[in-house]
Amino acid sequence: MKFLKQIKALLEGVFIVFKHLFKKSVTLQYPEERPVVPEKFRGGHTLNGCIGCGICRKVCPCDAITIENEGKNVTSYKINLRKCMFCGNCQYYCPVSAIKLGKKFELATAFEEELQVELVNDSNKSKEDNK
Amino acid sequence: MMKGWSGMSKMKLNLGPQHPSTHGVLRLILDVDGEKILGCEPVIGYLHRGMEKMAEGMTYLQYLPTVDRVDYVSGFFNSFAYVSAVEKLLKIEVPERASIIRVLLMELNRIASHLLWLGTYLLDLGAVSPFFYTFRERELILNYFEKISGQRLMYNYFVFGGVRQDIEYIEEIRPIITTVVEKLEDYEKLLTDNPIFISRTKNVGILERGEALAYSITGPNLRASNSHLDFRTQSGLYKNFEYKIAKAEDGDCYSRYKVRLEEIRESANIINQAVDLLLCKPGDVNIGLNPVNITPEAGEAYADVETPRGLTTCCVKSDGSANPYRVKWRTGSFYAVQILPKLLIGNMISDIMSIYGSLDVMLPEVDR
Repeated sequence: MKFLKQIKALLEGVFIVFKHLFKKSVTLQYPEERPVVPEKFRGGHTLNGCIGCGICRKVCPCDAITIENEGKNVTSYKINLRKCMFCGNCQYYCPVSAIKLGKKFELATAFEEELQVELVNDSNKSKEDNK
Repeated sequence: MMKGWSGMSKMKLNLGPQHPSTHGVLRLILDVDGEKILGCEPVIGYLHRGMEKMAEGMTYLQYLPTVDRVDYVSGFFNSFAYVSAVEKLLKIEVPERASIIRVLLMELNRIASHLLWLGTYLLDLGAVSPFFYTFRERELILNYFEKISGQRLMYNYFVFGGVRQDIEYIEEIRPIITTVVEKLEDYEKLLTDNPIFISRTKNVGILERGEALAYSITGPNLRASNSHLDFRTQSGLYKNFEYKIAKAEDGDCYSRYKVRLEEIRESANIINQAVDLLLCKPGDVNIGLNPVNITPEAGEAYADVETPRGLTTCCVKSDGSANPYRVKWRTGSFYAVQILPKLLIGNMISDIMSIYGSLDVMLPEVDR
C-alpha cells in the first residue's frame, strides 16, 4: 500500500513536469530578443545642466566621480565605471537633477580606457551617447 | 595511522571553497572514514568585504547603498536594519504609510528569498526541474522590484525617515502573489510526498530545540525545531497585521522545508493586508529629510529585523561626526554555519549538501 502511494506521488511529479513541455517558454533569448528596461532603471549616466556643486561626488560611496569646474562652468565631468556601483545616490541627491542614470545596460568592454567615461554637459549630445 | 570502523584509514577531505553547492565560498574540512563523517570544521572568510570597517570611512548616506550587499538576496531587510538604527540615532519618526510600504516590500523579498532557497536546495539534492519553476516565479517579484527601485537586487529604496518614493504599480502586486501561491501547490505535489525527497530529508540532520537555542539559531531553522520564536511579533512594525507563525516539530531537513513553504503563504497573507492598507491610507512616505550632511548626536542605536535567514541586527555607534564611529552586524547565517559540525558528524557524505542546503546559509551574510 505504501509502495503504491509512493509510485502515485512520483507519477504526479512526472505529470507536472510533463505539463510544462506544452507551456509557453519564459526564457528571453537575450542577444536576439531585447529586454524591456523599466523607466527607473539605473544604467549608463547622462549629464544635462550640471552646475558643479559637487554633491554627487560627496554622496558617491565609491569615489567614482571626478569634477573639474570654474564656478558654475563645468570643464570636465568624469565617471569611472570600474568603481561605479549604480546605486543612484548621485541622481537622487542632485539639486538640479543634472545627472541621471539611464537605460543603457550593456557597459562591459574589453578595454580599460573605455570605462573612464567623460560626460558632456549638454542635453543633446549625451542623449545621443545613451542610445 | 588511525584505523576506522571499516578497516580503512581516516582521511581528511576538503570540500570547497569553490563547491557549486555552497552558494558562496565556504570551505569544509572533513574527517571521513569511508563515507562516514567523523569531524567537520567550517572555514569562513572567503567572501569578507569589510562591511563593518568600511562604514567608518564613509558618511551615513554613503554607507546606505552598500548595506544591500550584506545579504544580496534579501537586500530590503539589511537596508531596514541599518536605516532604522540611524533613525533611532536621529530621533525621527517614520510616517505610517512608509512603514506599511516597508513591510510590503520586505515580505515580497522574503518570498523571493525562499523561492531561491527552494530551487537551489532541490538542485543540490539532484532535482533539476523545480529550480526552473521557482526561478520563474521569483523573476516576477524581481521584475516588480526593478520597476519601483531601478535594480533587481540592490534596491537603495529605503531612506532615513521613510522610503524614497510612494509605491508605484501597486495593482501588479496581487496578481504576482496569486501566481506564486498557486504555483506553491505544484511544488508541494512535486515534493511533499515524493519518496526520493523524503528519504533524502526526513530524519536527516535533526536539530533539537534546546541545542538550536544554545547555538543562537534563529529564523525558520529554529521554528522548524518546535519553537515559535519570531522577532516579527516583538517589533511594532507588524502590529497591524494578522498572521500565523509557521512552525514544525521534528527539526530535520524536511521540517525546515515545510516551515519555509508555510512562510511563503503567510507572507502572501501579510502582503494582501498591506495592499489593502495602502489603498485606503494615503499620506506621506518620508519626512523630507535631506540626508547629505546629517550628523547624529553621540550615542548608540540598535535595530533588529526578522529576515528569511534569522535575526539580523545592526548596531550603529555615533561620536557626533559625519561618519559612524562603529557599525556592527549580526546575521542569522553566521550562526547556522556554526551548527554544521554538530549536525554533520555521524552522517554520510551524501547528506552534507542535504543538511547544509536546508540551513539556507548565505555566505556573503556570514562574512560581511
